[in-house]
Amino acid sequence: MAENGESSGPPRPSRGPAAAQGPASAPAEPKIIKVTVKTPKEKEEFAVPENSSVQQFKEAISKRFKSQTDQLVLIFAGKILKDQDTLIQHGIHDGLTVHLVIKSQNRPQGQSTQPSNAAGTNTTSASTPRSNSTSISTNSNPFGLGSLGGLAGLSSLGLSSTNFSELQNQMQQQLLSSPEMMIQIMENPFVQSMLSNPDLMRQLIMANPQMQQLIQRNPEISHLLNNPDIMRQTLEIARNPAMMQEMMRNQDLALSNLESIPGGYNALRRMYTDIQEPMLNAAQEQFGGNPFASVGSSSTSGEGTQPSRTENRDPLPNPWAPPPATQSSATTSTTTSSGSGSGSSSSSATGSTVAAANYVASIFSTPGMQSLLQQITENPQLIQNMLSAPYMRSMMQSLSQNPDLAAQMMLNSPVFTANPQLQEQMRPQLPAFLQQMQNPDTLSAMSNPRAMQALMQIQQGLQTLATEAPGLIPSFTPGVGVGVLGTAIGPVGPVTPIGPIGPIVPFTPIGPIGPIGPTGPAGPGSTGSGGPPGPTVSSSTPSETTSPTSESGPNQQFIQQMVQALAGASPPQLPNPEVRFQQQLEQLNAMGFLNREANLQALIATGGDINAAIERLLGSQPS
Amino acid sequence: MEPPNLYPVKLYVYDLSKGLARRLSPIMLGKQLEGIWHTSIVVHKDEFYFGSGGISSCPPGGTLLGPPDSVVDVGSTEVTEELFQEYLSSLGESLFRREAYNVFENNCNTFTNEVAQFLTGRKIPSYITDLPSEILSTPFGQALRPFLDPVQIQPPGGSPLGRPNGQS
Repeated sequence: MAENGESSGPPRPSRGPAAAQGPASAPAEPKIIKVTVKTPKEKEEFAVPENSSVQQFKEAISKRFKSQTDQLVLIFAGKILKDQDTLIQHGIHDGLTVHLVIKSQNRPQGQSTQPSNAAGTNTTSASTPRSNSTSISTNSNPFGLGSLGGLAGLSSLGLSSTNFSELQNQMQQQLLSSPEMMIQIMENPFVQSMLSNPDLMRQLIMANPQMQQLIQRNPEISHLLNNPDIMRQTLEIARNPAMMQEMMRNQDLALSNLESIPGGYNALRRMYTDIQEPMLNAAQEQFGGNPFASVGSSSTSGEGTQPSRTENRDPLPNPWAPPPATQSSATTSTTTSSGSGSGSSSSSATGSTVAAANYVASIFSTPGMQSLLQQITENPQLIQNMLSAPYMRSMMQSLSQNPDLAAQMMLNSPVFTANPQLQEQMRPQLPAFLQQMQNPDTLSAMSNPRAMQALMQIQQGLQTLATEAPGLIPSFTPGVGVGVLGTAIGPVGPVTPIGPIGPIVPFTPIGPIGPIGPTGPAGPGSTGSGGPPGPTVSSSTPSETTSPTSESGPNQQFIQQMVQALAGASPPQLPNPEVRFQQQLEQLNAMGFLNREANLQALIATGGDINAAIERLLGSQPS
Repeated sequence: MEPPNLYPVKLYVYDLSKGLARRLSPIMLGKQLEGIWHTSIVVHKDEFYFGSGGISSCPPGGTLLGPPDSVVDVGSTEVTEELFQEYLSSLGESLFRREAYNVFENNCNTFTNEVAQFLTGRKIPSYITDLPSEILSTPFGQALRPFLDPVQIQPPGGSPLGRPNGQS
């Protein structure tokens, strides 16, 4: 028939003559056509008679695709081919492609085997998978731009609950319901590198005393943790938000199934009390003791691998700016709950002294901060605990090894988003700061309540100074420097170790403040000398003016002077840093670093160490 | 036998360069490119696209890119939503896994082309699918290739394809 002729003609010229003969000879003789069948995964060519029906076609291909004919769905040109149709009817000619979808009756879980649940509940693989929620209700466009900075917007989403665990739950729910937020978090390279290190994860988990208790009670957990395969799987799952969601949904489903089994509800309850509660408490306490962990804090995301067990109890990164964070943590922190009452009452009193000329200083003088600091000074044990937690140490070590990362994290903190100048200042100080953090002197100073009090007094003195003699402030540094200096000495000291990412604000002076430790006992005695720091400051200011964008150098000098003033010594004649570093400056000049100002800065920052100064200079050039 | 439902299939076309390509391409590449095209298929009231995060879906126009720069009518399909989800899951495990994304060889437009053919038997307009070869045929494009190759494009705002709802 004419149809046959024209159909097979164009695509297969070689068959032209045959085709010409075809119609002439027996129309009943079926021509074999080659049809390509394409599935999402592969494609194959089949030779079938032209006039076959779809049913026959399916039978021919079912063997190849190892499926039943009723599982096969053929689509051509947008139409679903029904069994009783013929290929010709749909215009399927030689050389064309038909699409195939193989319906699977019981679609198995496509994921890798899940780590066995510690409690022994195995998620049934036949459980009906639920659809991925595509609702992006509250988390649509603001988070589209990625980066953990977006989490800061969460506070505006109306997470109004003051109870921290509720907040945490809320955040988790939000997180779980918003896959792209999960994705954003997971794709943060820092989080990824954290998660990809199973040893680190294990350490972090094991370091938590609550976790250790848990392990003692349930040895299967320790098996889980020690099995590197499972850890790796868990990390994979944690990293792949889709998988994690899937798994958690399955677990939820399995749990709800459990409930319906007679006696199952009791098992569930037992499970909860045995495992979930301590874990929840552990997570809470860890978070409560770390109120300044802001966005990107590795310790919080470190806990994130717990989902392998029962429910997800991630302490999520704290996105809130310091003031709300401190207030919320002040009210809910379990270890300092007693202090909160007194803290909030004193905060109102101290809040009124907030008159710092500088915005940054004012942040750290907010009522929330003050109350927290009160609590901290009352409870040095808290700091000690925090600092001695091995994860803190390892975190700080890793931070000090990777200053860029630390800079990143710190700068992501909402504290600094408002003050880019401060960021710039902070950046170079970071490595020094991190070194100091690890200095055991620093740590002991921080846990010394008297040292803390002394620091508080100094800060208060500075604040008074700011209000009483604002004329002095510009001499330190226009704008930013004061904040640096003022808050530096201040109680930011105790605050900083809590979250090196948080208000790190110039911690560098704490190093030289170390010597204050031994003079600490003299602190209470010299509380009366709250006045003297005033005039002392004024006398030391001339030496400060020489290097306006002060780094740790002039800070150190200032501190030293104050210490001496406190001890009753007369203000020393401190040589001009230029004079002090005369020799080094000459050397740098000879080496070819001609920027005297920059050289001086570098030397001051490194305390006269030429090699370090050179590195500094070289490092600062590309930036 | 009642006629099966026909669902319209549309192609949403976005210019990722927002007009810059049209202006700068003659200077930079030596040939005129009208845009850097990102496309997605809209069917069953959902938009589907492929990026470095794998196959994702969102409400039509729901990515950060906003509304499309142009809409092409691809045709109609009888493929049901259920069947389509099934198909997409298979695709997402084979040719269009998230790791399989390559900005030149296997990108969003490759995906859209596949899906369009599956749904309607028609391909998407050639100016879209020819874009990578157009760029790579210029010396500038060749020079930039090692830098462009690892580029991963993923319009935010969608969610990755999970298991279809109620799939038996």
